[in-house]
Amino acid sequence: MTDDLFHLTAPWAQQLNADTRELDAAGAFPHDKWKVLQETGLLRTHFAPEFGGAGHGVTATMRALEGLGYVCHDAGLSFSASTQIVSVGVPLQRFGSQELKERHLPRIMSGEAITAHAITEESGGSDAMNLAATARRDGDHYVVSGGKMFITNAPVADLFLLYVRTGKPGPFGLTTLLVEAATPGLTAGPAMDKIGLRTSPVGTLSFDELRVPVSQRVGQEGTGFLILDHVMKREVLFGFSITLGEMTRRLEETIAYAGKRHQFGQPIGSYQAVSHKIADMKMRVETARKWLADTGVKVEAGQDASLDLAATKTIVSEANVQTALDAVQIHGGRGVLTEHGIERDLRNSIAGTIYSGTSEIQRNRIATLLGL
Amino acid sequence: MSTTDIAGEIRAYVVGQFLAGEDTTDLTGDYDLIDSGVIDSLGLVRLLSHLTRAFDIAVDDIELTPDNFRTLDSITAVVEAHAPVRAA
Ligand SMILES: Cc1cc2nc3c(=O)[nH]c(=O)nc-3n(C[C@H](O)[C@H](O)[C@H](O)COP(=O)(O)OP(=O)(O)OC[C@H]3O[C@@H](n4cnc5c(N)ncnc54)[C@H](O)[C@@H]3O)c2cc1C
Repeated sequence: MTDDLFHLTAPWAQQLNADTRELDAAGAFPHDKWKVLQETGLLRTHFAPEFGGAGHGVTATMRALEGLGYVCHDAGLSFSASTQIVSVGVPLQRFGSQELKERHLPRIMSGEAITAHAITEESGGSDAMNLAATARRDGDHYVVSGGKMFITNAPVADLFLLYVRTGKPGPFGLTTLLVEAATPGLTAGPAMDKIGLRTSPVGTLSFDELRVPVSQRVGQEGTGFLILDHVMKREVLFGFSITLGEMTRRLEETIAYAGKRHQFGQPIGSYQAVSHKIADMKMRVETARKWLADTGVKVEAGQDASLDLAATKTIVSEANVQTALDAVQIHGGRGVLTEHGIERDLRNSIAGTIYSGTSEIQRNRIATLLGL
Repeated sequence: MSTTDIAGEIRAYVVGQFLAGEDTTDLTGDYDLIDSGVIDSLGLVRLLSHLTRAFDIAVDDIELTPDNFRTLDSITAVVEAHAPVRAA
């Protein structure tokens, strides 16, 4: 069953990979491919059957996303898909009221409503627990002011989960609110140009006396950080399962290239300088696979996986950068030409050590958990 | 498990994980672990994982509000309310 999910999106490979180079150059969100994704059923994988989902758990969903990463050369599209699953659907399913679930889960898992979650602000993302956007209570509404930055899908999103401050400074004053994009007082900025994941639009949000009914709060007041923790576990596991699929494909392509490209009368793969690089790529990919698999099982079982998640996120994202660099080097001049897509992989890999908590923050977390 | 056993287990976990090496003789059941900074956001997440495993509680059954986890007494009450009934 789990293995079947790896192949879930494979029949749509051709459509998912159409015009990837041109769309990357344009930095445009591929609306047509989003429709293809909707058809694949991938966005339904992790949601409850009572709302129209396929009802799969964490590890099965990881496998489906790994398959997407393997099949789909458009890492930006895959990144937006992962954000779609975790940003609003996951917290709504776990913490939302029955009414909110009934109203929104079907349109989220069909992909009809594109979603985003907004935590990071201009003042910083690493210190997320001290975010400043505030929501003050006014009768049966919250009035939100402030702004957000680096929000994936924001320029094309229909529905947002906002992390705002309703209480005192620190993690225990955070609350999450569900907001439709068309709500007066909410403005999403245009897509910001960036080095990689260029088809996944990222942008700002600003709130000017944005009124949100209390009934659109997800979870209790003051539980925003617990919701964020629930989401981040899945964001890391789902998002970086895509990365694992991408790295596996990259490794296979590089092995094939090293076997067929000849210099000095021999395949370049027969030179130790090249083959050892590929051996290192293989070890990085398999290390990533093992950490993801073990951590997925722990999270699914409800075990304390705090250290495992920080390690997994760091190991997989850094393996992605290094294997992408190795692939460029082994492909020689072709590695840097945009027509082959190898350089795109490298550009796409860079942000992974930054979003979902930077490598430095993950190492801090591991050190803290080790009592340092 | 009796209330005393539950309270003892929770206290041992909190002291062992968050107050190791500290003098905890004055740690009372109503001491505010959150406002005092003993348990931060990461700590609360870990405490939750521990409770669900140690007392066999489904995490989805617990009402996740910081107030439920503010003191040793409130944590004990949450566990008592949700832990499966065991034969004496
Ligand atoms: C492609 C992309 C998509 C994103 N999508 C979203 C999204 O959908 N929603 C959202 O809310 N956010 C999103 N983000 C934002 C992301 O979470 C933040 O960029 C990230 O948390 C880092 O925050 P920052 O950019 O403010 O950097 P800063 O926090 O300012 O950090 C700058 C540097 O200082 C280091 N640093 C900071 N504090 C410490 C410390 N205590 N110890 C050691 N080093 C430290 C950091 O590691 C980093 O290297 C996205 C970012 C990117 C790049």
